[in-house]
Amino acid sequence: MKGLFNKIIEVNLNDRTHQIIEIADEIYENYLGGRGLGVKLFTDRVSPTVEPLSPDNKLVFTIGPVTGTSVSTSGRMSLVTKSPLTGTIFYSNTGGIFGFSMKRCGIDGIIIEGKSEKPCYIIIDGDKGVKIKDAEELWGLDTEETYDKLKEIEGEKVHTLEIGPAGENQVLLASIMNDASRAFGRGGVGAVLGSKNLKAIAVINGKQKTEVDNPELLKNYAKSALDKIKALPVTRAALPLFGTAGVLHVTNSLGMLPIRNFTYGQHEKAPLIGGEAIRKEILVKTEACYGCTIRCGRLTEAGSMKGKGPEYETVWSLGANCEIFNLIKITQANYHCNKLGLDTISMGVTISCAMELQDKGLFPYEEVKFGNEDVLSELVIKTAKKEGIGADLAEGSKRLAEKYGDAETAIHVKGLELPAYDPRGAMGHALGYATSNRGGCHLTGYMAAMEIFNAPKKIPRFTLGGKPDLLVLKQNQSAVEDSLVNCKFSGYALGFDYQARFVSAITGLDFNVTRLLEIGERIYNLERVFNIGAGFSNEDDKLPERFETVPFKEGLSKDRVVPINEMLSAYYNVRGWDENGVPKKEKLEELGLK
Amino acid sequence: MKIDKETFNSFDLVGKDLSNRGYNSSHAGNLSMKSGGKIIITRRSAMLGWLQPEDLVIIDLEEEDAHSGLIASTESNVHRNIYKHTDAMAIVHAHAPATTALSMIEDEITCIDGEGMFLYKKIPIVECDIPVGSYEVAEKVAPALQNYPAVVVRAHGVFAKGVTLEDALGVLTGVEQAADIIYRVKLLGQPLKRDYSKEKGFTNW
Repeated sequence: MKGLFNKIIEVNLNDRTHQIIEIADEIYENYLGGRGLGVKLFTDRVSPTVEPLSPDNKLVFTIGPVTGTSVSTSGRMSLVTKSPLTGTIFYSNTGGIFGFSMKRCGIDGIIIEGKSEKPCYIIIDGDKGVKIKDAEELWGLDTEETYDKLKEIEGEKVHTLEIGPAGENQVLLASIMNDASRAFGRGGVGAVLGSKNLKAIAVINGKQKTEVDNPELLKNYAKSALDKIKALPVTRAALPLFGTAGVLHVTNSLGMLPIRNFTYGQHEKAPLIGGEAIRKEILVKTEACYGCTIRCGRLTEAGSMKGKGPEYETVWSLGANCEIFNLIKITQANYHCNKLGLDTISMGVTISCAMELQDKGLFPYEEVKFGNEDVLSELVIKTAKKEGIGADLAEGSKRLAEKYGDAETAIHVKGLELPAYDPRGAMGHALGYATSNRGGCHLTGYMAAMEIFNAPKKIPRFTLGGKPDLLVLKQNQSAVEDSLVNCKFSGYALGFDYQARFVSAITGLDFNVTRLLEIGERIYNLERVFNIGAGFSNEDDKLPERFETVPFKEGLSKDRVVPINEMLSAYYNVRGWDENGVPKKEKLEELGLK
Repeated sequence: MKIDKETFNSFDLVGKDLSNRGYNSSHAGNLSMKSGGKIIITRRSAMLGWLQPEDLVIIDLEEEDAHSGLIASTESNVHRNIYKHTDAMAIVHAHAPATTALSMIEDEITCIDGEGMFLYKKIPIVECDIPVGSYEVAEKVAPALQNYPAVVVRAHGVFAKGVTLEDALGVLTGVEQAADIIYRVKLLGQPLKRDYSKEKGFTNW
């Protein structure tokens, strides 16, 4: 299919061999690329019951038809694997430039299976082909050191996906970093790489150009999209000026910024760690992914340290949710997470879970208490090393809370820690958490965009009527955006019809909105079927109890709880699933799934 | 399935707004939204400016049922077909006068004002032998709404989609505003000093 190369590299680390496999057009027409292609290739090859950290688990890295084109925000790529943190299928995506660079090598993805006897890395060289090389000298290095070392070995223009010590030690919160800057952050995907003794994947010297069916038309659409991105205040001003952490000012004012492990919804000190404070106090310069004009990335300096971030989710998870409002300390802990290769959301929420356990007298470490900013970086470092208390934290909040006798203290769905939008403040977003195929994720449906930011459309945040229907639409749309692969932030400015225009101009095929939504639905159902095979059921589509029973007492989200069961039955009905949340046979047949 | 108060309030607000604008005669126009895998739609000949709870009817999303045939809006088949084939979550239909007038002399509405160009660029016009309530309308309107937020049925009126009723109302009133400006410019009888639509590649839109 135009826009792609129909080629995937399949690497077996057991014997360090690789082969190029051809992918039929039909697969792309039904799954596009990115997440959809990854889910299809993964579920065709891996049993739902596979042990995530065993050699039998696979990782599928893919790009999509939009990746690296003239479309702004298209510098992204996708990963699919089975998560050791959640036990679900796990899709993740990252920005930066790696996706574009891989596409320039003339491949649409790489499937990795097996386990190398010794540490290794994979180099995809546009001139010299694919090699699997020893990485013993890289093992033990942090992500920045790894990136620097690989530049030294392979050349200055190399781009890398790498794990830090957290991934090597198979910490369940480990991320895969991208040029030591961006991340496949969530779900412990770094531990999967670590379990295979695979330190990094590198690309260099790609020179191939992607064939676009109608470059003039694509240019026209891309220009129009850019006009909108430059006009909407969210993408024109808020994200460039304040980064994602600008969001904190809004969620705090709406009373839905989780504080003290989701106990309160706002805090008077919150602005001290928001995007405005970052801009004023620690920003060195803004940064962008490949081809993006929004520039939401931050290069910052905190004390004697310098690094990337922090994002909104990070200032919240390592900050507000731990009742810590020292921007320097939070940012330094964020740098440690990036260097060691840890997901800042799950890391922070696991720490706040430990703090609540300590508050309840269930956790034996006195220093781990709400508001103690001096303990943050130390806990992050110990987690990456699985050292002392870090060995407990390395398992994530669900296992931690279960071990210390109060499972409800863990704020998660399906084992994945919830992000920085309290579900009591937005009902559709809450239902999105409960029904996300990868667990407590804000981006699988991202109803917050409409319920909070009115972008691209406004919907009332507390209304229940129609929310299941809207969420299904958004989840299917997101599956498509993740498959093209395009950034969620462009969705603030653009209607979904733009995605249809982009992919039609690139491929020359008629991908109208309806056809794209059917593809999104197919992807979502295939993920659900995999999860059911892995042992998940409607019992797992739930929120932590406090969201259903304990309202906030103050703020603009007070007196609200989430009637999750009421929405859930309607959601299953809209999805064409039975009352147990299992896709009906006729729904699967309609989507061409067995 | 019951219709909650907030949902009724949305229908009431949008109906009153349309009525106040004079986009419909007293008993014309129709509104609907998807909810729980069904469609909530206004009753046939409901007065949109004075909606009562019993003016909202729940009909099946997939096929004709008793309610849709007996008491739901004449255009219920059009709404259903739009939901089945587009990403619409709510639909507003009205006989907006400037848009309807332009549909009789144009083949598409190409926006010439800044707001219209930014939001819509072009709005398609479809022509039907029976322009009200027919299966032909249902079959022609739905495909046009796949990649556009609104469509005009020649000599009849506008169907606008949105994620909520208020959103669809915003589209419909925005299209009417853009059409009204074209209408007024035509009345002035002067050529445009600068035709932005020709600079922005709208012909490929």
